[in-house]
Amino acid sequence: MSDSQIQTRDSGSMLALLLLRAWLGVRAVVTGLEKFSDTRTLQVPLLDAAGKPDSSGAVVEVTQKFYSLHSYHAIPDSMKEKFSQEPLLPAFMTAPYYAVLGWALIALGLAVLVGLWTRASLFLMGLLYVSLTFGLILIKQDGGVSWLAIHVALIAVALSLTKHNRFALTRS
Amino acid sequence: MSSREPEVKTDGLGRRRFLKTATAAGLSIALAPLHSAYAQADSGDSINIALVGLGAQGRVLMDAMLKIPGVRFVAICDIWPYARTYGQRYLKKNGFEVRAYESHKEMLEKEKDLQAVVVACPDFWHAPITNDCLRAGHHVYCEKMMSNTIEGARSMVQTMRETGKLLQIGHQRRSNPRYLVARNRLLGEARLLGRITAANAQWNRAVSADLGWPNHTAMPKELLEKYGYSDMHQFRNWRWFKKCGGGPLSDLGAHQIDILNWFLDVSPSTVIASGGRDYYSGHEWLDNAMVIYEYKLPEGTARAFYQVQTTTSAGGGYYEQFMGTEGTLRMSENPKYTQINREAAAPPWDQWISRHLLAAQKAPAKSDDDSSSGNDKVDARETAELAAYYLPVILSKLIHQPHLENFFNAVRGRGTLNCPADEAFKSEMAVFKAIEAVETRSLVTCKSSDFIA
Repeated sequence: MSDSQIQTRDSGSMLALLLLRAWLGVRAVVTGLEKFSDTRTLQVPLLDAAGKPDSSGAVVEVTQKFYSLHSYHAIPDSMKEKFSQEPLLPAFMTAPYYAVLGWALIALGLAVLVGLWTRASLFLMGLLYVSLTFGLILIKQDGGVSWLAIHVALIAVALSLTKHNRFALTRS
Repeated sequence: MSSREPEVKTDGLGRRRFLKTATAAGLSIALAPLHSAYAQADSGDSINIALVGLGAQGRVLMDAMLKIPGVRFVAICDIWPYARTYGQRYLKKNGFEVRAYESHKEMLEKEKDLQAVVVACPDFWHAPITNDCLRAGHHVYCEKMMSNTIEGARSMVQTMRETGKLLQIGHQRRSNPRYLVARNRLLGEARLLGRITAANAQWNRAVSADLGWPNHTAMPKELLEKYGYSDMHQFRNWRWFKKCGGGPLSDLGAHQIDILNWFLDVSPSTVIASGGRDYYSGHEWLDNAMVIYEYKLPEGTARAFYQVQTTTSAGGGYYEQFMGTEGTLRMSENPKYTQINREAAAPPWDQWISRHLLAAQKAPAKSDDDSSSGNDKVDARETAELAAYYLPVILSKLIHQPHLENFFNAVRGRGTLNCPADEAFKSEMAVFKAIEAVETRSLVTCKSSDFIA
């Protein structure tokens, strides 16, 4: 294989890893952020075609999404209820897990995006998804398990390409 | 209330007397000042009112009026001492010392600072009391039905015109912002349903026992007879007796048949119906009825099915539903029964959603063990389930409050009535036509002139 062929292959691998870092980073950061989101219902006057309040004086309820620390919810309540009934997921384990899940997704996602200890960050992200998989298997959410398996596979591919890591804050 | 008047029924009106009455009415209409939906209260924002009738509906209206600033209760009237005592005590708790009367005539004679009267007594007293109040110079809010006779209802419109006073009829949905937006914006501005081809409405109620009364509160027979009742049972359950009320088609149907006419903006051209006294042996009026109206709309014929059942609550609550080529609107005073559906081939509704005229329903979450393919159809000819939307307009008041506010604002000269008596007459005539169709077991044809008082 000539040097130019090797260079071409390496640059392809570099770009592949960049794409994987971008996707996995965005996926984790946005998923984490969403755990701080909620909706509130506002009551506002209904407007007519001219932008003036409707002649009936009608008021409409408009749902608005917002983000706040107070809105933090690691997982949906329905899922939390199911986990609470699982003997293999005692409260002393799940409580701290729920507390850090959102923050961990954001931190690991950002780390992967900017290339901060890329290998370690990818590995920890993979472990996080494995831990989520453990819970989903228990409550028989096979669809979610499959989604997480795709994430883990992408992380594994990214890890195998880390020697081509560029545009990163740290080299490792 | 004064005695005997409702017994002077015009059901058997002779031709000569009819012509005489009609001529007199025509003259008086011509000579009377034009009815104006505007009127000025005598002074400021405060309006002195009397409430006639402190039964279930009177109490509902009383609660709604207590929430309206500027409404000052000065008198109440009811033939039942028990109801008068209740009304006086209740209003005293809410800051009003009111005088109580058995007879509305005595009340009108003695109360000199009244500006408006709210009438919520049994239907057969509506016309005589309303007419007396209008002639005494007061504006009137009268519960529907206007009367248990066509002539009674017509006389109210004529008195309104003769006196130039305001007469609002209690079809309260006409002031409900949810209904106003649905009619004026969704059906009018957005033409959301395309061509309306059908409608249906219903109010089904479970079997219930007749109303009773505490023994010590029973009125003497002479007093009951003075006011047109045979006994306490008839007094308490007047809605079921033909000389007093109009039965379920009138009590429940009037509200919804009014919505059919108002939303379609036309009166029916024909009516067929079936109904009967199938269950309750002690009642005179039918307990269940099914009615089909035909409407000639500018774009074609539409048919509307109305049913009222008082022997079952089945059928999904009470609502008025309009079905068109592009969508369906189901309205109800209860928001939980309100829904809008879009036909799959209809143009997108995005612009109406962005303007908050409607909002998409959240799709129900699918469970993980849902093994279906997502296609719930069992027959290839079945139309797929339609996208569902809801009306985001809210009413954070008691349901009668906006209609009463509209009345009091009109009394203050700030707006027009949403349901003046001549407009209400059209809908009430449609109810009388349905009752006629039930009783004659035949197709009843309606002329446009039937709906003009």
